[in-house]
Amino acid sequence: MSAVTPRVVTPRVDTPGADAPRVRVPSAAPARPSRGPARHRGLRVVRWTFLTVLGLYFLVPQLAMARFAFQNVPVVLLNASTLFSKWSASSLVDALSQAALWDAAKTSAMLAVLSVVLDLALLLPLAILAEIRAPRLRPVLSALTLLPWVIPPIALVVGVAATFRDVAPGFLTSTLSLVPFYAIWAMPFTYRALDSGLRAINARTLVEAARSLGASELTVLFRVIVPNLSASIVAASGLTAALVLGEFAFASLLLKNTLPTYLVNYQRDSPQAGMALALAVMVLTALALGAVVHMLRRRGLGMSTTGF
Amino acid sequence: MTGTDLAADPTSRATSAGVWAAAARPSRLVVDDTVGEPGGLLGIVGRLRAGRRPSTATLAMIPFLAFVGIFLIWPMAAVVVRTFTPNGRFGVGTLVRAVTGPYQSAFTNSLMLAGASAVIGGVLGMALALALRGLERPRWLRPTIDAWSSVASQLGGVPLAFAFVAALGTQGVLTKALAAVGVDVAGSGFSLSTLAGMTFVYLYFEIPLMFLVVAPAVGGLRTTWREAAELMGASPVRYWLTVGGPILAPSVLGGMLLLFINAFSAYATAYVLNSSGQLVPLAIRFVLQGNVITGEQGLGYALVTWTVALLVAGLVLMNVLQRRAARWSRA
Repeated sequence: MSAVTPRVVTPRVDTPGADAPRVRVPSAAPARPSRGPARHRGLRVVRWTFLTVLGLYFLVPQLAMARFAFQNVPVVLLNASTLFSKWSASSLVDALSQAALWDAAKTSAMLAVLSVVLDLALLLPLAILAEIRAPRLRPVLSALTLLPWVIPPIALVVGVAATFRDVAPGFLTSTLSLVPFYAIWAMPFTYRALDSGLRAINARTLVEAARSLGASELTVLFRVIVPNLSASIVAASGLTAALVLGEFAFASLLLKNTLPTYLVNYQRDSPQAGMALALAVMVLTALALGAVVHMLRRRGLGMSTTGF
Repeated sequence: MTGTDLAADPTSRATSAGVWAAAARPSRLVVDDTVGEPGGLLGIVGRLRAGRRPSTATLAMIPFLAFVGIFLIWPMAAVVVRTFTPNGRFGVGTLVRAVTGPYQSAFTNSLMLAGASAVIGGVLGMALALALRGLERPRWLRPTIDAWSSVASQLGGVPLAFAFVAALGTQGVLTKALAAVGVDVAGSGFSLSTLAGMTFVYLYFEIPLMFLVVAPAVGGLRTTWREAAELMGASPVRYWLTVGGPILAPSVLGGMLLLFINAFSAYATAYVLNSSGQLVPLAIRFVLQGNVITGEQGLGYALVTWTVALLVAGLVLMNVLQRRAARWSRA
């Protein structure tokens, strides 16, 4: 990576008022003109070495996974001459041909969609209200939607087993009983996505304009606000999808068959195809999140994907 | 993030500024709330009791509050109540036994795992942010790392553990490649199921998360401060000790606390790497599945209570630090 990248050449033209550290421009560091270049060369080597090592750390596990999944050469026989032989996608085809996979995938997709819808139904009206009419709601909303961060699935599942099993025994037998809980964990970033979206579109002015033109409240909601919030809604959906694709503790301990729990069981029986499927799930998650990040950037919508 | 970076992409200025607005806001408000949140709720209840007509806003909150109450607060409150009333009477016996009895090692291990991955991930994530500071070429690098961090910080779970098994498991590609050049990974005592191995895996989502948290703070270090320090004769060491360090400290500590919370509650990765491991989340699973001596079920509740108490304390502390950090941060 470092070998092919053009190095930073000094001096360069800085835009006025730009905040780039100008220490690399010799004229801005008059204190040590003699030691400067040597120090900077050393720093550059350290910097690129560090970035390369970190890049390898993030890349190698994925490549190893791809090899394990798609190459039919035992690790013992793996060397330079066999590195590119016997690659095939048959393991993924095997994995995808399992009917049980599609059941689990369907369940997960349904959970994701329902969680997003439930969260939007609960939070969108409140976010709008907090933005245009009752700012005092904001601290309450902000705090309550942060709570799920400190109540992880592995903790909540104990409480759920202790309460719902006694009070509503039928509730937990349905797979759909996961929806409210996934909606809970999706709240931190869903609320923040909606909140930053509402700020970005200047919702108060929009609503006042629409109302003064005679729009009813429902018209304002569905024909003015929601279309303008599409970026926020897509972001919340993408992050929720990633959450549902990744959540294992809660589903597995409540004995539900979602994609992550299926993945673990399937990999136990057929390691290679399981690995291929895991890679596919990982790529799918990364694409969903990547699309969200890209869209937020393009729309200039400030929102942290961490839910903080 | 540097100014020239932003100049290259006009939309990103808005993005980054917004990120800060978004990131700074909740922290400030939450601090108020961790103290005043019951008050806020009690305030609504109180107003209802007082017979005053509740406003539309208050009424609109009811479905949401009911939802959070039923699916989050009620189960957790039940756990806490059962922890403190083991035999129908108030007592802290189970709470004490959970950290001294059979699960003491789970607590020690979880604290060490979360602590180590928070500190190492924090340092490396910080180093990444510093390494990218002022780096303008290649142009694609910064946006790529920004986006990748958002993705990788969420990539915990089952597939990640599989990926590391494929790379560094006993039959892993990297294990074999290293063996070929004479490095015996397994013989050196390294295994993915040990604490060190798990820490190594956890770093995969901890480093990007730290980067996301501290990058705005690093971007907030103004060049003018450094120039002013240099003009007054301060060495780089002095600058970092008296200006840069203190300004970055709250973000760095806050970020590490977030990493700690994240690692302590991670379950799927640990389960795949070592399902019989001595860690709090795995111990909770054990108790929940009934793999305990009769009469010890209460320990499960105590484990959960400890976990949540620890995480809440971390969150509160983190918000205090983030509020300080927000003062100087900008993207």
